[in-house]
Order: sequence, then C-alpha cells, then structure tokens
Amino acid sequence: MKYLALQKPSLARFSAVLLNAILGLLVGCSEHSPAEHIAPAYQSSEALPGGATSASPKPFVSFQLPAANLARELKSDFYAGQALAKQPWVKAPTITTARDGLGPIYNARTCLSCHIKGGKGFISDTDQVPLLGTLIRLSKPGVITEEFTQAGIIPHPVYGDQIQGQSISLAHQLRHSQKPGTLQHDVAPEAYVYIQWQQHAFTYPDQHQVQLRQPSLEFRNLGYGPLGDDTLVSIRVAPAIHGMGLLELIPQQDIDLLADENDQDGNGISGRVNQVWDVEKQTMAPGRFGLKANKPTLAMTVAGAFAGDVGISNSLFPQQPCTKAQSKCLAALNGNDAGGFELPDHLLDLVVNFNRNLAPLKRSHFKSEKIMQGREMFYALACNQCHTPSFKTGESQSFPHLAGQTIWPYTDLLLHDMGDKLADNRPDFLASGNEWRTPPLWGVGVQHQVNGSRALLHDGRARTIEEAILWHGGEAENSKAKFIELAKKDRETLIFFVKSL
Amino acid sequence: MKLFNLAACITAASLLAACGSDSDNFVASPAQQNLIDTNADIAYATYTDSVETAIDLKAALAAFKLAPTDITLQAAKTAWLVSREPYGQSEVYRFRESPIEEVEGDLNAWPLGEALIDYVATNDTDFTADQVGVTANSAGINDADNGIVDGSIVTQNIIGTTQVVINDALLATTASAADEHDVIAGYHAIEFLLWGQDLNTSTQTTTNGTDRDDAVNTTSTGGQRPLTDFVSATANDTADRRHQFLEVAVDKLISDLEQVQTAWIEGVADNYRAQFTTITSETDFNQKFTEILNGMGTLSEGELAGERMQIAFASNSQEDEHSCFSDNTHRDIWLDAEGVSNSFYGSYAGYDSTLNGTDDVTTNAVDGYGIDDYLKEVGLDSLAASAKDAFDLTETNYTEIDTLARAGSPFDVQIMAANRTAQSPIAKTIISLEAQARAIQDIADELNLGDVVEDGASECETTTPDVAC
Repeated sequence: MKYLALQKPSLARFSAVLLNAILGLLVGCSEHSPAEHIAPAYQSSEALPGGATSASPKPFVSFQLPAANLARELKSDFYAGQALAKQPWVKAPTITTARDGLGPIYNARTCLSCHIKGGKGFISDTDQVPLLGTLIRLSKPGVITEEFTQAGIIPHPVYGDQIQGQSISLAHQLRHSQKPGTLQHDVAPEAYVYIQWQQHAFTYPDQHQVQLRQPSLEFRNLGYGPLGDDTLVSIRVAPAIHGMGLLELIPQQDIDLLADENDQDGNGISGRVNQVWDVEKQTMAPGRFGLKANKPTLAMTVAGAFAGDVGISNSLFPQQPCTKAQSKCLAALNGNDAGGFELPDHLLDLVVNFNRNLAPLKRSHFKSEKIMQGREMFYALACNQCHTPSFKTGESQSFPHLAGQTIWPYTDLLLHDMGDKLADNRPDFLASGNEWRTPPLWGVGVQHQVNGSRALLHDGRARTIEEAILWHGGEAENSKAKFIELAKKDRETLIFFVKSL
Repeated sequence: MKLFNLAACITAASLLAACGSDSDNFVASPAQQNLIDTNADIAYATYTDSVETAIDLKAALAAFKLAPTDITLQAAKTAWLVSREPYGQSEVYRFRESPIEEVEGDLNAWPLGEALIDYVATNDTDFTADQVGVTANSAGINDADNGIVDGSIVTQNIIGTTQVVINDALLATTASAADEHDVIAGYHAIEFLLWGQDLNTSTQTTTNGTDRDDAVNTTSTGGQRPLTDFVSATANDTADRRHQFLEVAVDKLISDLEQVQTAWIEGVADNYRAQFTTITSETDFNQKFTEILNGMGTLSEGELAGERMQIAFASNSQEDEHSCFSDNTHRDIWLDAEGVSNSFYGSYAGYDSTLNGTDDVTTNAVDGYGIDDYLKEVGLDSLAASAKDAFDLTETNYTEIDTLARAGSPFDVQIMAANRTAQSPIAKTIISLEAQARAIQDIADELNLGDVVEDGASECETTTPDVAC
C-alpha cells in the first residue's frame, strides 16, 4: 500500500469502511467514533512537505525554486525552462523567433507574470482597473453534445471558453498613452473586465465579526458583440504551481481509494474523480490538475495555458486562441515554426519539466506546542477528510528524484461540492457548478511572502485563511460549523497550524 | 508599489518582528561591516558609471540626430556598446530584491517587442519555412501606408503610425504597465533602433529559406539598419520619429539608472544603502550575506548559465541571444560573470571605454574588502582558494568566447549547429558557471547561512513559542 495514511489507525478504519462498501456490506456509519478524529502521531517527514525535494525558504521565500534533490546535470535545463516561462512572448514576427507569437489575443505575456515567483496570482480589490491577468472562463449551459465531449463544456460560439482581455493591437498596447479614438484595433481584445466586490459581515456566536466579500463582473469594451444573458462565467485567479511534479506522481489508485461518490460511509463527504479528455492518449482519463480537476496531466495543463492564456500554439493545442467568428484574430500573423507550432515540443518539454521540478518549501515551524494543538484541531474538525495530509509518490523512470517521496500536500485531488455560496455554476466535464477540487495547502501560510498575494479560493474572494474557511459549505459544512463554534483562541490556533504548512 | 517591493517589505517586516529583540546595541565586527560596505560601494560605483555612460550615449544620439552620417551613427553605436560595459557588471545586484528590481523591467527587459516599435524587414526567401508569414508582415522601410497587407489587416508599429505621439509619457505609461505590453523601452530598444535586425547581409547570397543557421547573419557584424532610416525629409516622418524614440528612450534610461544610483548613495538617511549597511544583529548580517551570495549564485547558474546560455546553446535557438541586434552577447556574458567575481573579490576595476577588453576608466574603481578576505579572516582559507579556482576557470572560458567573437565569430555563430560541441567555449563556460555556483553554495553552507533550522524551532519560537512570527 503506497497510501501512507493507511498505516495509521484512524484511516485504516476509513479504508475498512470503503472495503465494506465495495463488498456491498453496507453498514450504518453515521456515528463516528471519536478515534477517527484524533490526529495520528507526528512524523518527522511532516517538516519536509515535498520530501527530499523540499527547498529552503531562505533567503527569499519563493515557489520558483528547483527541487532540492534535482540532479546537477538537469539544473541548466530547469533554468532554460524557467526562461521560457519568465521572459515575455512578443508579437510576431521578430528576430527572436523562438520567443514570438504572442496572442493575437491573450491574458498574459508570460507564465510567471500571473504565477508570480511560482505563487498565486492577484485580483483587483477595486473596479478601477480591468482584470487583465485574471482568467474569466466562459461557457454555455446545456447538454454536452458529441461535438464538445473533448472540451467538457459548451464554449461560447464567439468568445470561446475564456475571455482574453488583451491583444497585440497597437490601440491596446498603447492605450495608457494615447487619447481614446486615436488608434483603431486591428485585433480587438475580447473585453476589459472589471470586478466589484459586495461586502457583508459574518458574525461568530462570540460576536466577533469578519468582513467577507463576493465578486460580480462587468464586461466593458466587448470586442465581438454581446456575451448573451445565458453565458456561464467563472473567475479564476492563477494558482501556485510548486510541487506539481509530486502531485503528478501520486498513484491514481490511491486517489480512487479516497473517492466516495455516493457518500456510502455516511460522513457527509463524497469526493469524486473527474473524467476528462486526454489529448495525448486520445481517450477519457481521470483529471487531477486545475481548479475543477479538468486536466489529466501536467503537460496538458502547461500546454493548455500556453495556448489559451498566452496564445502560444503547441503540438497538444495547435490552434490560435481565436474562434471561427474572430476573423481578424485568425488572419493575424503567427509565430509558427516549420513544424507549425509557436512552441515546439522540445521547448514545451523544458517548461513542463521546469514546472514539474518546482519545489515545495521546508516548513520553518512545525513542532511548537501551538502548532501541535492546531494540528489536533485540524483532525478533530475532519479537515483532513478532504485535505488529505500525506501520500507517497509512485515510481518514475523519468524523474527518479520525485519518486517514492513522502509528501504532505493536504489535498485529495478530488472534486467536492462546496455549497451554493462558493459555486460558479459552470460545469466542467463531470464537475458540477458546485464542485471544486480540493486545493493543496502546502505553502499557503507563506503565499503572501512569495509575491504579496493574499488571494485565496478560486476567485480570490478570501483574503485570509479564516475567510476561506468561512466560505466552505456543502460537504465541508459540518467542519465549518465546528470551526465557528470554537473559541476565538482555538480558531486562531487551527489557522496557525494551517499557516505553518 | 511593485510586487517585488511588497514582498521585500513583508520579508523585511517579518524579519524585524522576529529578530528585533537583539538589535539594540549590536555592533558588527569590522569584517562584517567591511564586507557589507564594500558590496554597497561596488553597487554605487557600477550604477554611477552606468549613469555616466548613458549620458554619453544621449550626447552621441543628439549629435547623430543633428547630422546623421555613417560616422555619427557609428559613434552612437559605440556609445551604446560602452554604456553596456559598466551596466553589465551591475547585473549581479538584480537577483536579491535590491533597488534595481523596481526599474529593471524598463531598463534591460528582453526579448524586445521589436515588431511593435518599428518595421520588421526580411528578404523574400529567408525564414519562409521557419517563420510563416514573416515576409508578408514586413511593414517596409519608411512605408507611407504603414504595412497594409491586405484589405483588412493593418500591421501596426509605433514608428510607422504617425498619430502616435512619441514622448516621455509613451514610454512612462506603456513601459511601466506591468504585463500589459511588449517590451519597448530600455537598452535593447535603443539597440534595435540603431542596428536593426541582425539578418543576412547584402554581401551574402540569399539562402533558400529552409535553414535557420544560414538565414541569420553569419558574419561578424550585427544588424545593418541603413543610414537612410535616419535621414529625415519632413517633420514626423519615420526617420524623424526614430530620432524622437531614441531621445525619449535614452532619457528614460538615464532617469531609471539615476533612481537606482540614488538608492545606493552613501550618507543619505533611510535610502536603501543606509538600510543595507546598517547591521542590526548577527542574524541580520547572515541575512544580508546570504542575499549577496544568493544574487551571485542565481546569476551564475540560473540566469547566465541557464536562461541566457543553455537555452540558446542546446535548443537550436539561433537568435536567442541577449544583445541580438548588435551581436554584443559575448560582452553580456563576460560582464555578468565579471560582476559576480567583483562581489567575491570586493573590487570593481572600472569599465572599458575603448572596447579593446581592458578597463581604462577607473575613476570610480573600488578596491575593498571581499568575500575572499572575509573567508580568510574567519579561517576558511581553503574555501576561499577553491572558490577562486572556480572563478578563474570561468574567466578563462568566457575570455575564450570573447576572443572568438572579436576574431569574427560572435555568439550567434558560436552556437550554430556545426559549432555546438562539448569543446565550445560556451559549453565550457556553462559548466564552469555551474561549478562556480556550487562554490558559492559551499560558502553559504560552510558559514551555515543558507538553510532553515530543522530542529523544529525558529529563532522567535525558541523564546516565545506562542507568538506568531
């Protein structure tokens, strides 16, 4: 058994429940013995969330560091991949042919301009500036026909599956310095999207108050006609990208073991695996990357972002980011090489491997009395039921330094219904409008030290871990309810532990 | 406030909170103080020389505008090359959240969005297979119709679009708008306007367009922008607009460099230098020393060996060189590496104003207290010696790149397929830079600077375990 936690008594019982379910010997599990909520003994490996790959947070906290055990001969390839993720892509054509082909419409010029230092992206606190790096996903409601089974959604017929808020047109590039109307777009940006935050107060039983906020969007300067009233819209703040190579190596069977689609153990939590299109294997496959687990592999995640967000075509996603209805976008010159791609496979591999080798950080604090108290509460409130603390990564011929590592990501990589208040109401393959994939918690406490971003949850509505917890609902309703009932000091202790991860 | 600064502030603030208790009455040892002071002295000296050579560049550009001739064009190009000599040596300060981070994106960003600035000229056959549509996208020299390719698509660039006013606001608002645009300011924008694209020269037979190695310039010169590009017939024609662009670009360059220089000047209360050279505790010294080593190691391995050399050398990316228009990449490599060794030896020899490879302007030279001196003082002579060996080997190798380039094989020729062997000085330099980075890491390890405390307690938790850090 590679799934480490199975060796622990509490989760061994959990697996026994699963086994019962498989055998059809359904037993009443609605009553949970307290033992299930007792934290297992502390393990020394908890100090190193990424196992031997864990990097030092000194002198600067960064999620852009190579795995500590990355072989020396692979270091230069790591930095070559970093160059492709960091240096801006430019409008074609240029003499730096390996770096051109931006857009024609796009969200960002580089990977790391949204995943700043490998960390989480930003979202505006005001409606004074458009959301440029923030992704707005689009789709249409309805039953997915055969035409779109590989997309997993019904894309907007004109705008596609996301708003690209920028374009290579001079009118967009120089809009800060030119009077409006001086220049006309050749290829228009799809829209300038502005966000407004509605604030409301949450009051604990102890009368302590926390301000929560939720967003609404306004689309201005729509470049290609109205969006339509029935368009489904979902805001996405760029997630942190460290530790992805380790998550990739978690054996699928270990994730499947945690799934409990119909909540047969009766604990109110029913994680499930998304089934998504694998463009390389040309078949459906379990999804694990993305906020709705809509990508099966790291290569597809990176290649998809290149094509959709930066407008850089590649062998996995060979199209420019234009729909059939966007003729000027389609007619604009691209930066394709002789093979027909702006990013050939050997360069795509460099970037994927760069991402794969980004290290989780060693924990700076992990065994103080307060952290150990918070750790007890984390299990007592059943946070660990979705934020699965630990796995052991599987074998890998290609990346032996990532294989067989005991890691502590605090995610089960499964979809969970998080309640109506957090829902985006935009299905994605099997994921419903209420479902989100459990995000990893490693590094969440130093996220703001990496690049200043305090944005949490898919749309950045939460600015603190406390706010994020208070937005939990659906399958996490019980855990949240227990959190709210805690004394303020105890709530802070739990958060102190989460911050230490 | 830019993100990096924000992060730096947060880091600084959290360090203060964690370590404030032992900062009262702390007096750094002379060795500690000398080490940090010299590092700041070199920063100030290199940025000062960068400002002065940028001002010389401005004068050369003004003379060129006044009387555009081959001689004044060449003088402007020479002034640009000279301006790179001190600036290159300052790049070691980029990788440690020091003041340069605020303006670096405007100063030296790469690759340039050249198609946004000016026409992109090609001949009829080169690149056709490698770069679909490049010929059709050429806007043409001084092309009045601004490159209308077909009835609906207009290829737009700043020089060719006369209604775009070229002034300081154009660069100030566009260049500083974070991720919203292509790179149009800084050294490489000026380089592009002076040299133009580094394509096949007219003296070379046109190739059949299938071989990238043949299609780029394989001779010893950089780009060949014709003088006619700068001879203006009427106000605000494209030639005039190129001069306008050069003027505002060099003004912004100077002002950005002065901002960094000011942050490093001695004797100003509360500037970056004052903060950096005030050592408040042993922990604070360790943090600052670590930042210095981190910057040296990051430039050696990640930036120079990895991002600037490995990808160009290994990935068949012929044009993936830093100063691609002027063919000056061999100097970028030399100067970046020299900046790292400057930090190690605590010295700055000035810069080369005659471009013959010898530093002749020594007005602001620094001969101070280096990391080598510190290591010897704390009894780590052998560590200092092995680091010196690593730096020496790197110097030998990058000197070979430079010698080859001066003999007629610039960086873009040295990375051509036929020259891509293990014996290439570029391959050897990459390897020696990595070894040098390990030597720098060894220093950090030996001094116990670079890692977290793993016994489960941070500095602040040891005394007050329940206080959030």
